[in-house]
Amino acid sequence: MSSNQNNRLETGGRIDRSKPLTFTWNGKQFQGYQGDTLASAMLANDIKVVGRSFKYSRPRGIFGHGAEEANALMQLGVGKETIPNPRATQIELFNGLTATATNGWPNADFDLMEWVGKIGGKMMPPGFYYKTFMWPEKMWMTYEKFIRKAAGYGKASLEADPDTYDKMNRHCDVMVVGSGPAGLAAALEAGRAGKRVILADEQNEFGGTLLASKQTINGQPASEWAEAAAAELAAMDNVLCLTRTTVFGYYDQNFLGALERRTDHDGMTAKSGTRQRIHRIRAHQVVLASGAIERPLVFANNDLPGVMLSGSVATYVNRFGVVPGNRCVVMTTNDSGYQTALDITAAGRTVVAIVDTRHNPAGRLVDAARAAGITVKAGHAIIEAKGSKQVTDALVAPIDATGENLTGPATSMSCDLIAVAGGWSPVVHLSCHTGSRPQWSDEVAAFVPGPTIQHQHLAGAINGEYTTAGALNTGAQMGAKAAGSEAASTYDCGDESVCPAQAMYLVPHTKPVSRAPKQFVDFQNDVTAAGIELANREGFESIEHVKRYTAMGFGTDQGKTGNINGMAITAKNLGKTIAETGTTIFRPAYTPVTFGAIGGRDIGELLDPSRHTAMHPWHLDNGALFENVGQWKRPWYYPQAGESMQQTLNRECMAVRNSVGILDASTLGKIDIQGKDAREFLNRVYTNAFSKLAVGKCRYGLMLKEDGMVFDDGVTACLGENHFLMTTTSGGAAGVMAWLEMWSQTEWPELEVYFTSVTDHWATCSFSGPNARKVLEKLCDDVDLSSDAFKFMDWREGTVADIKARIFRISFTGELAFEVNVPANQGLYMWQKIMAAGEEFGITPYGTESMHVLRAEKGYIIVGQDTDGSVTPQDCGMHWVVGKNKEFSFLGKRSFSRPDTSREDRKHLVGLKPIDPTAVIPEGSQIVADPNQPIPMDMLGHVTSSYWSECLGHGIAMGTVISGQHKMGETVYCPLADGRVLAAEICSPVFYDPKGERHHD
Amino acid sequence: MTNMHSPLHHIEVPASVAAAGVVMREDKYRGHLNLRGNPQDEAFTSAVAKTLGVALPTTPNSSAENGTTRVYWLCPNEWLLLVAEGTQGQVEADLRAALADQHIAITDLSSGQTLVNLSGANIDELMLKSAVYDCHPSNFPVSKVVQTTFAKTGAVIYKCADGSFDLVIRRSFSDYFFLWVADASEEYGLQVV
Amino acid sequence: MLHIYCPYCEEMREEEEFSYSGEAHIARPTDPESLTDAQWGDYVFFRTNPRGLHHEMWNHAAGCRRYFNATRNTQTYEIHETYKMGEQPTVTGGKP
Repeated sequence: MSSNQNNRLETGGRIDRSKPLTFTWNGKQFQGYQGDTLASAMLANDIKVVGRSFKYSRPRGIFGHGAEEANALMQLGVGKETIPNPRATQIELFNGLTATATNGWPNADFDLMEWVGKIGGKMMPPGFYYKTFMWPEKMWMTYEKFIRKAAGYGKASLEADPDTYDKMNRHCDVMVVGSGPAGLAAALEAGRAGKRVILADEQNEFGGTLLASKQTINGQPASEWAEAAAAELAAMDNVLCLTRTTVFGYYDQNFLGALERRTDHDGMTAKSGTRQRIHRIRAHQVVLASGAIERPLVFANNDLPGVMLSGSVATYVNRFGVVPGNRCVVMTTNDSGYQTALDITAAGRTVVAIVDTRHNPAGRLVDAARAAGITVKAGHAIIEAKGSKQVTDALVAPIDATGENLTGPATSMSCDLIAVAGGWSPVVHLSCHTGSRPQWSDEVAAFVPGPTIQHQHLAGAINGEYTTAGALNTGAQMGAKAAGSEAASTYDCGDESVCPAQAMYLVPHTKPVSRAPKQFVDFQNDVTAAGIELANREGFESIEHVKRYTAMGFGTDQGKTGNINGMAITAKNLGKTIAETGTTIFRPAYTPVTFGAIGGRDIGELLDPSRHTAMHPWHLDNGALFENVGQWKRPWYYPQAGESMQQTLNRECMAVRNSVGILDASTLGKIDIQGKDAREFLNRVYTNAFSKLAVGKCRYGLMLKEDGMVFDDGVTACLGENHFLMTTTSGGAAGVMAWLEMWSQTEWPELEVYFTSVTDHWATCSFSGPNARKVLEKLCDDVDLSSDAFKFMDWREGTVADIKARIFRISFTGELAFEVNVPANQGLYMWQKIMAAGEEFGITPYGTESMHVLRAEKGYIIVGQDTDGSVTPQDCGMHWVVGKNKEFSFLGKRSFSRPDTSREDRKHLVGLKPIDPTAVIPEGSQIVADPNQPIPMDMLGHVTSSYWSECLGHGIAMGTVISGQHKMGETVYCPLADGRVLAAEICSPVFYDPKGERHHD
Repeated sequence: MTNMHSPLHHIEVPASVAAAGVVMREDKYRGHLNLRGNPQDEAFTSAVAKTLGVALPTTPNSSAENGTTRVYWLCPNEWLLLVAEGTQGQVEADLRAALADQHIAITDLSSGQTLVNLSGANIDELMLKSAVYDCHPSNFPVSKVVQTTFAKTGAVIYKCADGSFDLVIRRSFSDYFFLWVADASEEYGLQVV
Repeated sequence: MLHIYCPYCEEMREEEEFSYSGEAHIARPTDPESLTDAQWGDYVFFRTNPRGLHHEMWNHAAGCRRYFNATRNTQTYEIHETYKMGEQPTVTGGKP
């Protein structure tokens, strides 16, 4: 094990040196400390190369310290626990952590692909993907293999994730995003005002930049103030403190998504409980205090390991006690580089020089640097970094005041670290998510959040307020404003004066951009200044097009560091200002969110609710297999030992035809309708008339949408003069209920009628077959069940097995049938009583599959199977159910006479009898007139239902056929995918008992 | 009543769970009646108040209670009456007699839904996981009633005086409901009483 | 995720509780049989799809089951108002 953390300082930082932690990187063991991130521990161990770049396979090192990191993507853990692509800068170190590079084989240090990369630039110009997709498809297959292997992203495990994830719904008065000085001050104000507050920060403790600051706040060291503020907030009952929680999305009307990593700091998998939790937050007011990200500068070879963001270097020094180099050159356009130089010097390492692009830097920090003996090269820039696997030298040259031209020869400075301070970009990402477009601010020299309709407030660096006191005070003001109060606290951090910054993006080189060594803009996607220049030259001027053509900002870092530089370069190439060029906007997620967390607990059995009937336990006990009908689990068929599915269906169907079978029909939608205008309402929504339906009678009805197409059907019973019970299809119940309510509430409020769903209240045992009456007679003696007294389509109230029941004489099988409805609490009992009573007749439970066969033998349609929203009653041959003399123009009626609806050559639903009596045509088969017609054939229609009919001894089918009702007796053909062609004769869909004598028996 | 099976009758959970943070109790076989009518019609409201012994709540999301009868506001012309087990038939008959000739509807739903009480030290966390509605006391005071979603099903949620919640759930969704509650309670422990 | 004020429940509710029900203020013709096919087709099939203010019908499906109308900006998703069935919008962007 390598335990010499050469870059670790003896003291300082928020790490615990008494708690060493062991970790493995690319197979080698190293040591870090409790409080480290993987990145700080790697830097402590002087690990320079952490991966290879996406396109050119160039060595890359750690570059930032947080969400902005573009290079240090890890493959964390192994096997089923492995996690692809987290940033080393955001992984908290734990003992036993294992990480490997996501790319570069055989390893990140020695990469064969580098040699390909060196010619790859020519092979893969910007727009490579775009052009490749446009060009020969077969070449893409070749490119793709090559790119996938070389390009940089990690691999997901193919094994099941061992962890659990969940979600919580949160509500608050004030949501504060970010816990730097602005966020803490805002949360304190709102919390002290008694508001329900949520404060979320992606890091392991609150404080943000204060944790690495040497400033004071009202005389108190900044980190101590942050600790005290965090403790005060934690003690408030009205404040929810969420550390290790990234607000990844900001959606309409102040709805935010936040991912809390609950156990990732403690190991690969949670030792107990939930690994990650998504908080779905609805906030009345939002304070965005998400800070700013430092910009790199675009100079030659600026991607070499050892080139880092200046603020990140300072963070490693002050927060983690790590100096990532011994000899540092600071390259800056503003004062923040000076603070980094001072911090490095204070840590006892060498600052070779501060290279400042400004010609006359002066003031507090500049004086301090000079006083510390640091060389300041004003009016200079690093134009190129030198080195192969890491920085060894910086080429420094004088530049003019515009920053666009070199004014003298370059000199070389030996160094192993270049800290780059190119200015700051506010983290506008969340503010963009709701559709607000960032606006360029000349004052801040950056994009700041634009106007929004959200109840949103901005505090601190997100709005260009870069001083600590400014962040604290705007935080306090915005926190108070969000809470509807006045800020009670003000903050003073001493002298924070700075010398004005210079706006600078691309650093000139001795060679033109196209010939200079690569000047990187987007590290994750290997987009260079030359690539952007080429794109601009090829005519891509809109920044949105440049982005898509070059893939700038497409990586998992979303262009956090590169976008502004890319836009500035585009603006310069086009001779525009950045404000004129504009910006692309960011979309969720701010940083990647695991699919596990998105799924939460809505997985497996909880993915979608399963609805069960009262008799479900019996079906389970008796070996039913289930079919999904909407959300219902309906018994599909009840196989007995040794039976094939077809044998089961044959047995079940023949039991119904020859004796008696029983079906759980509880899932049918049932709507109780009461009111004096109930009849009129039914007249309007059904195709047929209900004016004269007597109490004790039932009627079948078809429901249409206004376009004249069938959308539901069912039997409605008249329970009382002003009281009806409507049944609907199992899957259509909710839709029909909403349909009725819509017409009642919006169009015909004058009709006095109320609807109540009673689907779940009633359990329905439907038993049919020649012996059905004999079964019922054993259980019911207070209803005259004789054929004359209790006719087909009648219903009676009676006592069945000592339970008050509604008995309907309706049939979906074509046999004598009764449906016994009892309150569902007694449904299981009733089912068992009927089974016992029917035992002597061999009563046979059957499921939906046999139900489908039995009804198809009778030619009864199933809405949604034989119809698809494009079928009129006439198309189904159901003219008989359309009222001719109804006073009110019922829903859909007017559409019957539309030219398209009334033409004769529409597709009609007909019966299809296979010519080969043993054949069963696959459902969905296309129907043609001439199977020998060359492809593409003229389609006549398709098969909607098809089964083997055991009682008829041949296959039967229904299907739609153009003009089918006029083609009775003609032969049509179904060419199958396997090359067979099945012929069928067009016939009536009523195959069994065409006169309908059996159900009247 | 051996012929009765409540929606959650088959739930079997080990009798004692040490320090269960969530406790679930099905209030089986309560009478559930859905009532519709016009609250602006004094003849309707007074007849109902007289019959039930409690005035109909007309403020949105409110409830009223009298002994074993509890009335939930569901919408401006709809209420759920929760009455003592076995009395729903008589209450319906009494209401129909009192409201004869009025435009009303009364529908017995006693078998179609069930009342479930959720309580325990971690009830708040369970509700955060399950309900999109804000169940914080500042938004959900005692005796408030809210029709909303619960996980992927619907529920009528009522806040009891003891801080627990009474939920009316549909029978066909009750197995899903239980699976959800059991899963969401796993880290706290679940006791079914 | 929209946050919608139900004018019947008289409070804000989450979008999950609602279902969208199309353009508002589409009255069913009182005498469909007297309409030309074009007029009837316009009622059945044609809806406006404005960028900006839109009056639309929503159903508080998982709540009180009432239908109501909302004036929503289809560009910003801002909901300017919700109002009961039978009422008229107050936010119309200058249009009658």
